[in-house]
Amino acid sequence: MTRARRRAARGLAALFACAALALFTSAPSARAADARSDEARLRARLAPEVVQQVLAIVHEAREAGLPADPLVARALEGASRGADAAGIVAGVRRQSAALAQSRTALGAAAAADEIVAGASALMAGVPADSLARLRAARAGGSLVIPLVVLCDLVARGVPVDAASVAVLTAARAGATDLALLRIRERIHSRIESGGAPAGVASEIVRQWLREGPGHSRHDPAENPVKRSEIP
Amino acid sequence: MSDGPERDPSRAPERGPERGSDREPARRPEARSGSEPETRSELDPDTLRLDAAVRAAYRAVPARDAQAEARVLARLARPRPAGVHWWPESQRFELRPRVAVALLALVLLAGAWGGARWAERSARARGSLAGAGGTAAGPLAARPSGVPVTFVLRAPGATSVCVVGDFNSWDAAATPLAHAGSGDLWIANVELPRGVHLYSFVLDGAEWRPDPSAPLAPDDAFGGHNSVIVVAGAKSL
Repeated sequence: MTRARRRAARGLAALFACAALALFTSAPSARAADARSDEARLRARLAPEVVQQVLAIVHEAREAGLPADPLVARALEGASRGADAAGIVAGVRRQSAALAQSRTALGAAAAADEIVAGASALMAGVPADSLARLRAARAGGSLVIPLVVLCDLVARGVPVDAASVAVLTAARAGATDLALLRIRERIHSRIESGGAPAGVASEIVRQWLREGPGHSRHDPAENPVKRSEIP
Repeated sequence: MSDGPERDPSRAPERGPERGSDREPARRPEARSGSEPETRSELDPDTLRLDAAVRAAYRAVPARDAQAEARVLARLARPRPAGVHWWPESQRFELRPRVAVALLALVLLAGAWGGARWAERSARARGSLAGAGGTAAGPLAARPSGVPVTFVLRAPGATSVCVVGDFNSWDAAATPLAHAGSGDLWIANVELPRGVHLYSFVLDGAEWRPDPSAPLAPDDAFGGHNSVIVVAGAKSL
């Protein structure tokens, strides 16, 4: 190696060392800023002992690489809804466990929004292997909307198994996010019209499959409220 | 300079002259016309002398310059500060183009990453201050990367409607909806950061009600259901 190359190598090494130093120092400072922000928000609304317990859970989640903002938000929601201290801490702890389980089911490469949506599904009673199957059915695509639709169906009374099968079937058939949202609206509309939630979900999905995955008919009667259409 | 076996310039070559080689003998212009002599013995004496002089010049070793050698050795022997001796001196810095491009891309990526982190932290700090202090327009209007979203609720008989969610720290005083005309519609235009957000409406400061037009979230562990909004890009789903 010539002398000029040795010099160039030293220069590059110094440059990379500076860049690495900057990265390693900025990440902890950002985490520290997040922690201070969380603490300020919690202290403004919760009793000090609750704040300490919630912050401990938030700190553990953040150290584990899990999204921590939903935990702080959950505690603040509990405060706004008038929940007692034990209920708030239990709710935050339950969500933290669900976030960890969601990441395990969806894989380490899952986006933060997918982990949060997966945690909601788990808390709704959806089994973890359903999340893994959904991940396999939509490899490379976002699972946020499928999981949101799945949670919505369960919240509207569709049994967990039926809701999981309906969303998984549509996802395997190549349903887009928009198609899934329209399926959700049609199921919602049928349930509000008196349909039995258990049978409506599978019936609507079968109907959608018969129409063809490329079908994108927009029926205004099935979409009663569109925010953009309201003046 | 010559790496190959040396040849006697007076001997005729056994094969043709080497193209591109330093040893290729000089040719006269007329030699290309078909009358080129086949052996060295057929060349005229001037050409042979010139050929011998050129070959001798290539083989000659330059005389040692004792002063130059002494200067170089003195420069090499000069003590330098340990570790950083290359830093204060003028240096010739060489980079391969592909290394330079990769380095430039790395610097640009680091800058973009740092800028995004800085913007995110600034937005978070503004949101946290407003959430703790509690002004109505604070946290939502200040976010630089927000996407406009309109919340609408039909609430006959309500005297006040607010929207609460993770985007305003679930503060019932932060985002009131405005009464739209004389009807039952309540509307609020806010800016939300991209992502999945939970929210609910609070009627008359007491009654929590999910958005009837949005997907529901599961039981929130506090005895109620929230609504879900996914803010992606320029529109909300």
